[in-house]
Amino acid sequence: MQTIEINPMTRLEGHGKIKIFLDDKGNVDNAFMQVVEFMGYEKFLKGMPIEEVPRTVCTICGV
Amino acid sequence: MSKPKLAYYLAGGCGGCDIAVVDLSETLVDVALAVDIVFWAPTVADAKYKDLEAMPDGSIDVGLITGNVRNSEHDHIVKVMRKKCKVLIAYGICATSGGIKSLVNLYTTEQLLDKAYVDTMSTDNPDKVIPQTSCIVDSKYDLTLPALFDAKPLDQVVSVDYYIGGCPPHYDHVKTAFTALLTGQLPPPGSWITSGKALCEVCGRNPVLTGKPKKFTTTIKRTFEGTPTEGACLLEEGYLCLGPITQGDCGVKCPNANMPCRGCGGPIPGVKDFGTRAISAIASMLEKEELVDEIPDPVHLFYRYTLAGSALGKKLNR
Repeated sequence: MQTIEINPMTRLEGHGKIKIFLDDKGNVDNAFMQVVEFMGYEKFLKGMPIEEVPRTVCTICGV
Repeated sequence: MSKPKLAYYLAGGCGGCDIAVVDLSETLVDVALAVDIVFWAPTVADAKYKDLEAMPDGSIDVGLITGNVRNSEHDHIVKVMRKKCKVLIAYGICATSGGIKSLVNLYTTEQLLDKAYVDTMSTDNPDKVIPQTSCIVDSKYDLTLPALFDAKPLDQVVSVDYYIGGCPPHYDHVKTAFTALLTGQLPPPGSWITSGKALCEVCGRNPVLTGKPKKFTTTIKRTFEGTPTEGACLLEEGYLCLGPITQGDCGVKCPNANMPCRGCGGPIPGVKDFGTRAISAIASMLEKEELVDEIPDPVHLFYRYTLAGSALGKKLNR
Protein backbone atom coordinates (compact mmCIF):
# COMPACT_ATOMS: atom_id res chain seq x y z
CA MET A 1 0.00 0.00 0.00
CA GLN A 2 1.45 3.33 -1.07
CA THR A 3 1.65 6.00 1.63
CA ILE A 4 2.26 9.70 1.91
CA GLU A 5 3.66 11.05 5.16
CA ILE A 6 3.44 14.70 6.17
CA ASN A 7 5.86 15.17 9.05
CA PRO A 8 5.76 17.47 10.88
CA MET A 9 2.45 19.25 10.66
CA THR A 10 3.53 22.88 10.63
CA ARG A 11 2.53 26.34 11.82
CA LEU A 12 1.35 25.03 15.14
CA GLU A 13 2.84 24.25 18.51
CA GLY A 14 2.89 20.59 19.42
CA HIS A 15 4.11 17.85 17.17
CA GLY A 16 1.85 15.98 14.81
CA LYS A 17 2.12 13.99 11.63
CA ILE A 18 -0.28 12.83 8.98
CA LYS A 19 -0.09 9.49 7.21
CA ILE A 20 -2.20 8.98 4.10
CA PHE A 21 -2.77 5.49 2.67
CA LEU A 22 -3.48 5.25 -1.07
CA ASP A 23 -5.29 2.44 -2.88
CA ASP A 24 -4.21 0.76 -6.15
CA LYS A 25 -5.63 3.60 -8.24
CA GLY A 26 -3.80 6.22 -6.22
CA ASN A 27 -6.92 7.47 -4.46
CA VAL A 28 -7.01 8.07 -0.73
CA ASP A 29 -8.02 4.91 1.10
CA ASN A 30 -7.56 6.22 4.63
CA ALA A 31 -5.70 8.95 6.50
CA PHE A 32 -4.51 9.29 10.10
CA MET A 33 -3.46 12.33 12.08
CA GLN A 34 -1.18 11.42 14.96
CA VAL A 35 -0.03 13.52 17.89
CA VAL A 36 3.51 12.28 18.41
CA GLU A 37 4.20 14.04 21.69
CA PHE A 38 3.41 13.19 25.28
CA MET A 39 4.12 15.46 28.24
CA GLY A 40 2.92 14.02 31.56
CA TYR A 41 1.86 17.08 33.57
CA GLU A 42 -0.96 15.02 35.10
CA LYS A 43 1.64 13.08 37.03
CA PHE A 44 4.62 15.30 37.62
CA LEU A 45 2.63 18.17 39.16
CA LYS A 46 1.76 15.88 42.04
CA GLY A 47 2.95 17.43 45.30
CA MET A 48 3.40 20.92 43.89
CA PRO A 49 1.83 23.70 46.02
CA ILE A 50 -1.38 24.76 44.26
CA GLU A 51 -0.33 28.42 44.03
CA GLU A 52 2.68 27.37 41.93
CA VAL A 53 0.62 25.43 39.40
CA PRO A 54 -0.64 28.32 37.19
CA ARG A 55 2.89 29.54 36.42
CA THR A 56 3.96 25.95 35.72
CA VAL A 57 1.17 24.67 33.47
CA CYS A 58 1.48 27.71 31.19
CA THR A 59 4.34 25.75 29.63
CA ILE A 60 1.95 23.10 28.30
CA CYS A 61 1.64 25.45 25.33
CA GLY A 62 3.51 28.72 25.14
CA VAL A 63 1.86 30.04 21.99
CA MET B 1 28.20 38.51 1.08
CA SER B 2 25.36 36.03 1.34
CA LYS B 3 23.13 36.11 4.40
CA PRO B 4 23.79 33.65 7.22
CA LYS B 5 21.50 30.64 7.07
CA LEU B 6 19.35 30.00 10.14
CA ALA B 7 17.54 26.83 11.18
CA TYR B 8 15.20 26.51 14.16
CA TYR B 9 13.81 23.31 15.63
CA LEU B 10 11.30 22.99 18.45
CA ALA B 11 11.87 19.64 20.17
CA GLY B 12 10.17 18.86 23.52
CA GLY B 13 9.09 22.40 24.27
CA CYS B 14 5.98 24.56 24.27
CA GLY B 15 6.60 27.16 21.55
CA GLY B 16 7.05 29.93 24.12
CA CYS B 17 10.64 30.47 22.97
CA ASP B 18 9.37 30.86 19.39
CA ILE B 19 6.98 33.52 20.66
CA ALA B 20 9.92 35.26 22.39
CA VAL B 21 11.47 35.65 18.91
CA VAL B 22 8.21 37.09 17.56
CA ASP B 23 8.18 39.45 20.58
CA LEU B 24 11.19 41.20 19.03
CA SER B 25 8.42 43.12 17.21
CA GLU B 26 9.99 45.77 14.89
CA THR B 27 13.45 44.32 15.45
CA LEU B 28 12.15 41.04 14.06
CA VAL B 29 11.96 42.68 10.63
CA ASP B 30 15.68 43.53 10.81
CA VAL B 31 16.54 40.01 11.96
CA ALA B 32 14.39 38.43 9.25
CA LEU B 33 16.07 40.58 6.59
CA ALA B 34 19.55 39.81 7.93
CA VAL B 35 19.23 36.01 7.84
CA ASP B 36 18.05 33.36 5.45
CA ILE B 37 15.63 31.11 7.34
CA VAL B 38 16.06 27.66 5.79
CA PHE B 39 14.16 25.61 8.37
CA TRP B 40 11.82 26.51 11.21
CA ALA B 41 9.59 23.64 12.29
CA PRO B 42 7.03 22.89 13.37
CA THR B 43 5.90 26.38 14.38
CA VAL B 44 6.79 29.00 11.79
CA ALA B 45 7.87 27.75 8.35
CA ASP B 46 6.18 25.03 6.34
CA ALA B 47 9.32 22.87 6.37
CA LYS B 48 9.41 19.07 6.67
CA TYR B 49 12.03 16.91 8.36
CA LYS B 50 13.00 15.35 5.03
CA ASP B 51 13.86 18.86 3.71
CA LEU B 52 16.29 19.31 6.60
CA GLU B 53 17.75 15.82 6.10
CA ALA B 54 18.37 16.60 2.41
CA MET B 55 20.46 19.71 3.13
CA PRO B 56 24.26 19.31 2.83
CA ASP B 57 26.14 18.78 6.11
CA GLY B 58 27.50 22.02 7.57
CA SER B 59 25.45 24.14 5.16
CA ILE B 60 23.55 26.03 7.88
CA ASP B 61 25.39 28.77 9.76
CA VAL B 62 23.33 28.88 12.95
CA GLY B 63 20.93 26.37 14.41
CA LEU B 64 18.64 27.13 17.34
CA ILE B 65 17.07 24.27 19.24
CA THR B 66 14.40 24.82 21.84
CA GLY B 67 12.78 22.21 24.04
CA ASN B 68 14.34 19.16 25.64
CA VAL B 69 15.02 15.78 24.04
CA ARG B 70 12.22 13.50 25.18
CA ASN B 71 11.54 10.98 22.42
CA SER B 72 13.21 9.20 19.51
CA GLU B 73 12.00 11.77 16.98
CA HIS B 74 13.55 14.68 18.94
CA ASP B 75 16.73 12.61 19.29
CA HIS B 76 16.94 12.00 15.54
CA ILE B 77 16.20 15.57 14.40
CA VAL B 78 18.55 17.09 16.99
CA LYS B 79 21.36 14.88 15.63
CA VAL B 80 20.47 15.92 12.06
CA MET B 81 20.54 19.59 13.16
CA ARG B 82 24.00 19.10 14.67
CA LYS B 83 25.28 17.70 11.36
CA LYS B 84 23.79 20.48 9.25
CA CYS B 85 24.62 23.46 11.51
CA LYS B 86 28.04 25.02 12.01
CA VAL B 87 26.95 26.66 15.28
CA LEU B 88 24.30 25.05 17.45
CA ILE B 89 22.57 27.00 20.22
CA ALA B 90 20.49 25.58 23.06
CA TYR B 91 17.84 28.26 23.19
CA GLY B 92 15.66 28.47 26.32
CA ILE B 93 15.83 26.59 29.60
CA CYS B 94 14.35 23.28 28.28
CA ALA B 95 17.17 22.93 25.76
CA THR B 96 19.89 24.09 28.15
CA SER B 97 18.83 22.28 31.32
CA GLY B 98 15.69 20.22 30.74
CA GLY B 99 13.04 22.77 31.71
CA ILE B 100 9.74 22.25 33.50
CA LYS B 101 8.94 19.38 31.14
CA SER B 102 11.95 17.48 32.45
CA LEU B 103 10.12 17.02 35.77
CA VAL B 104 8.81 13.92 33.97
CA ASN B 105 12.08 12.33 35.11
CA LEU B 106 10.62 12.08 38.63
CA TYR B 107 8.59 9.16 37.25
CA THR B 108 8.95 6.28 34.84
CA THR B 109 7.34 6.46 31.39
CA GLU B 110 4.90 3.75 32.47
CA GLN B 111 3.80 5.73 35.54
CA LEU B 112 3.29 8.87 33.44
CA LEU B 113 1.30 7.12 30.71
CA ASP B 114 -0.78 5.26 33.24
CA LYS B 115 -1.77 8.50 34.99
CA ALA B 116 -2.61 10.33 31.75
CA TYR B 117 -4.40 7.55 29.87
CA VAL B 118 -5.86 5.26 32.53
CA ASP B 119 -5.89 6.66 36.02
CA THR B 120 -7.38 10.19 35.77
CA MET B 121 -10.93 10.69 37.03
CA SER B 122 -12.11 12.09 33.69
CA THR B 123 -10.69 9.21 31.64
CA ASP B 124 -12.94 6.47 30.27
CA ASN B 125 -10.52 3.78 29.08
CA PRO B 126 -11.71 0.35 30.33
CA ASP B 127 -9.32 -1.53 28.01
CA LYS B 128 -6.40 0.51 29.39
CA VAL B 129 -5.15 1.42 25.92
CA ILE B 130 -1.96 3.50 26.01
CA PRO B 131 0.09 4.83 23.07
CA GLN B 132 2.32 2.21 21.38
CA THR B 133 5.40 2.85 19.26
CA SER B 134 3.82 0.83 16.48
CA CYS B 135 0.37 -0.51 15.79
CA ILE B 136 -1.61 -1.88 12.86
CA VAL B 137 -5.14 -0.46 12.53
CA ASP B 138 -7.81 -2.62 10.84
CA SER B 139 -5.06 -5.17 10.07
CA LYS B 140 -3.69 -3.05 7.20
CA TYR B 141 -2.77 0.47 8.30
CA ASP B 142 0.70 0.45 9.78
CA LEU B 143 1.23 3.41 12.15
CA THR B 144 4.22 4.38 14.29
CA LEU B 145 4.91 6.79 17.13
CA PRO B 146 8.27 7.93 18.52
CA ALA B 147 9.52 6.02 21.57
CA LEU B 148 9.43 7.98 24.84
CA PHE B 149 12.39 8.17 27.18
CA ASP B 150 13.58 10.38 30.06
CA ALA B 151 13.90 14.05 29.17
CA LYS B 152 17.44 15.22 28.48
CA PRO B 153 18.96 18.66 27.97
CA LEU B 154 20.40 19.14 24.50
CA ASP B 155 24.04 18.72 25.54
CA GLN B 156 23.40 15.17 26.75
CA VAL B 157 22.67 14.24 23.11
CA VAL B 158 24.85 16.47 20.91
CA SER B 159 27.62 19.01 21.43
CA VAL B 160 26.28 22.52 22.03
CA ASP B 161 28.13 25.73 21.14
CA TYR B 162 26.12 28.30 23.11
CA TYR B 163 23.40 28.38 25.75
CA ILE B 164 20.59 30.90 26.21
CA GLY B 165 18.45 30.55 29.35
CA GLY B 166 14.94 31.72 30.14
CA CYS B 167 11.43 30.34 30.10
CA PRO B 168 11.11 31.93 27.68
CA PRO B 169 14.11 34.24 27.18
CA HIS B 170 13.09 37.90 27.58
CA TYR B 171 12.79 39.61 24.19
CA ASP B 172 15.42 42.20 25.13
CA HIS B 173 17.81 39.35 25.86
CA VAL B 174 16.86 37.63 22.60
CA LYS B 175 17.71 40.90 20.84
CA THR B 176 21.10 41.06 22.60
CA ALA B 177 21.80 37.43 21.69
CA PHE B 178 20.79 37.85 18.03
CA THR B 179 22.87 41.02 17.76
CA ALA B 180 25.87 39.16 19.21
CA LEU B 181 25.29 36.34 16.73
CA LEU B 182 24.92 38.57 13.67
CA THR B 183 27.93 40.72 14.53
CA GLY B 184 30.09 37.76 15.52
CA GLN B 185 30.67 39.17 19.03
CA LEU B 186 30.23 35.87 20.77
CA PRO B 187 31.78 34.55 23.98
CA PRO B 188 34.03 31.46 23.83
CA PRO B 189 32.21 28.32 22.56
CA GLY B 190 30.47 26.41 25.33
CA SER B 191 29.41 29.63 27.09
CA TRP B 192 26.01 30.92 28.06
CA ILE B 193 25.02 34.10 26.25
CA THR B 194 24.21 36.24 29.29
CA SER B 195 25.04 39.54 30.94
CA GLY B 196 26.65 37.38 33.64
CA LYS B 197 24.68 39.14 36.36
CA ALA B 198 22.47 37.39 38.89
CA LEU B 199 18.87 38.52 39.14
CA CYS B 200 19.62 40.06 42.56
CA GLU B 201 22.29 42.27 40.98
CA VAL B 202 19.69 43.96 38.79
CA CYS B 203 16.66 43.70 41.09
CA GLY B 204 15.33 46.98 42.50
CA ARG B 205 14.23 45.10 45.63
CA ASN B 206 17.82 44.20 46.60
CA PRO B 207 18.66 46.24 49.72
CA VAL B 208 22.41 45.88 49.11
CA LEU B 209 22.14 47.97 45.92
CA THR B 210 20.96 50.95 48.00
CA GLY B 211 23.61 50.47 50.67
CA LYS B 212 21.36 48.77 53.22
CA PRO B 213 22.40 45.58 55.04
CA LYS B 214 21.02 42.24 53.92
CA LYS B 215 18.80 40.59 56.54
CA PHE B 216 18.29 36.89 57.18
CA THR B 217 15.05 35.15 56.25
CA THR B 218 13.19 34.62 59.55
CA THR B 219 10.03 32.95 58.27
CA ILE B 220 8.94 30.88 55.25
CA LYS B 221 5.86 32.14 53.42
CA ARG B 222 3.91 30.78 50.48
CA THR B 223 3.06 33.31 47.79
CA PHE B 224 -0.59 33.59 48.82
CA GLU B 225 0.31 34.43 52.42
CA GLY B 226 0.21 38.19 52.89
CA THR B 227 1.44 40.82 50.44
CA PRO B 228 5.12 41.67 50.15
CA THR B 229 6.11 45.14 51.37
CA GLU B 230 6.57 47.40 48.37
CA GLY B 231 10.19 47.51 47.30
CA ALA B 232 11.33 45.03 49.96
CA CYS B 233 13.48 41.98 49.16
CA LEU B 234 11.18 38.98 48.75
CA LEU B 235 13.69 36.67 50.44
CA GLU B 236 13.88 38.91 53.50
CA GLU B 237 10.09 38.83 53.62
CA GLY B 238 10.10 35.03 53.62
CA TYR B 239 9.14 34.34 50.01
CA LEU B 240 11.76 31.92 48.69
CA CYS B 241 13.21 33.67 45.65
CA LEU B 242 15.95 32.05 43.57
CA GLY B 243 17.31 35.40 42.38
CA PRO B 244 20.76 34.95 43.97
CA ILE B 245 21.75 32.13 41.60
CA THR B 246 19.59 32.87 38.53
CA GLN B 247 20.74 34.81 35.48
CA GLY B 248 19.20 38.27 35.53
CA ASP B 249 18.59 38.76 31.80
CA CYS B 250 14.83 38.61 32.28
CA GLY B 251 14.00 42.20 33.11
CA VAL B 252 13.22 41.12 36.72
CA LYS B 253 9.64 40.48 35.60
CA CYS B 254 8.57 38.14 38.41
CA PRO B 255 9.90 40.03 41.48
CA ASN B 256 8.54 43.27 39.98
CA ALA B 257 5.13 41.58 40.02
CA ASN B 258 5.57 40.45 43.67
CA MET B 259 6.36 36.90 42.54
CA PRO B 260 9.59 35.25 43.71
CA CYS B 261 12.02 34.00 41.07
CA ARG B 262 11.85 30.29 40.26
CA GLY B 263 15.09 30.09 38.33
CA CYS B 264 14.00 29.93 34.69
CA GLY B 265 16.96 32.02 33.57
CA GLY B 266 19.38 29.23 34.34
CA PRO B 267 22.48 29.29 36.56
CA ILE B 268 24.79 32.29 36.87
CA PRO B 269 28.24 31.75 35.32
CA GLY B 270 30.41 29.31 37.23
CA VAL B 271 27.47 27.28 38.52
CA LYS B 272 27.10 23.88 36.90
CA ASP B 273 24.30 22.37 38.96
CA PHE B 274 21.56 24.92 39.55
CA GLY B 275 19.52 22.91 42.07
CA THR B 276 22.31 22.14 44.52
CA ARG B 277 23.59 25.71 44.40
CA ALA B 278 20.05 27.02 44.90
CA ILE B 279 19.63 24.83 47.99
CA SER B 280 22.95 26.01 49.36
CA ALA B 281 22.21 29.69 48.62
CA ILE B 282 18.76 29.64 50.20
CA ALA B 283 19.93 27.61 53.21
CA SER B 284 22.68 30.17 53.89
CA MET B 285 20.08 32.94 54.09
CA LEU B 286 17.80 31.27 56.63
CA GLU B 287 18.04 32.56 60.20
CA LYS B 288 17.78 29.11 61.75
CA GLU B 289 18.11 25.54 60.54
CA GLU B 290 14.57 24.53 61.57
CA LEU B 291 13.16 26.72 58.76
CA VAL B 292 14.43 24.17 56.22
CA ASP B 293 11.66 21.80 57.28
CA GLU B 294 9.06 24.44 56.40
CA ILE B 295 10.06 24.66 52.72
CA PRO B 296 7.16 23.12 50.82
CA ASP B 297 7.99 20.68 48.03
CA PRO B 298 11.74 21.31 47.58
CA VAL B 299 12.16 19.32 44.34
CA HIS B 300 9.57 21.36 42.42
CA LEU B 301 11.10 24.55 43.83
CA PHE B 302 14.85 24.07 43.45
CA TYR B 303 14.82 21.77 40.41
CA ARG B 304 11.78 23.14 38.58
CA TYR B 305 13.69 24.06 35.43
CA THR B 306 16.85 22.00 35.69
CA LEU B 307 16.07 18.49 36.91
CA ALA B 308 17.25 16.64 33.79
CA GLY B 309 20.55 18.50 33.67
CA SER B 310 21.30 18.11 37.38
CA ALA B 311 23.34 15.55 39.31
CA LEU B 312 20.18 14.66 41.26
CA GLY B 313 18.43 13.91 37.97
CA LYS B 314 20.66 10.88 37.47
CA LYS B 315 19.97 9.40 40.90
CA LEU B 316 16.21 9.34 41.22
CA ASN B 317 14.55 6.48 42.98
CA ARG B 318 11.29 5.95 41.07
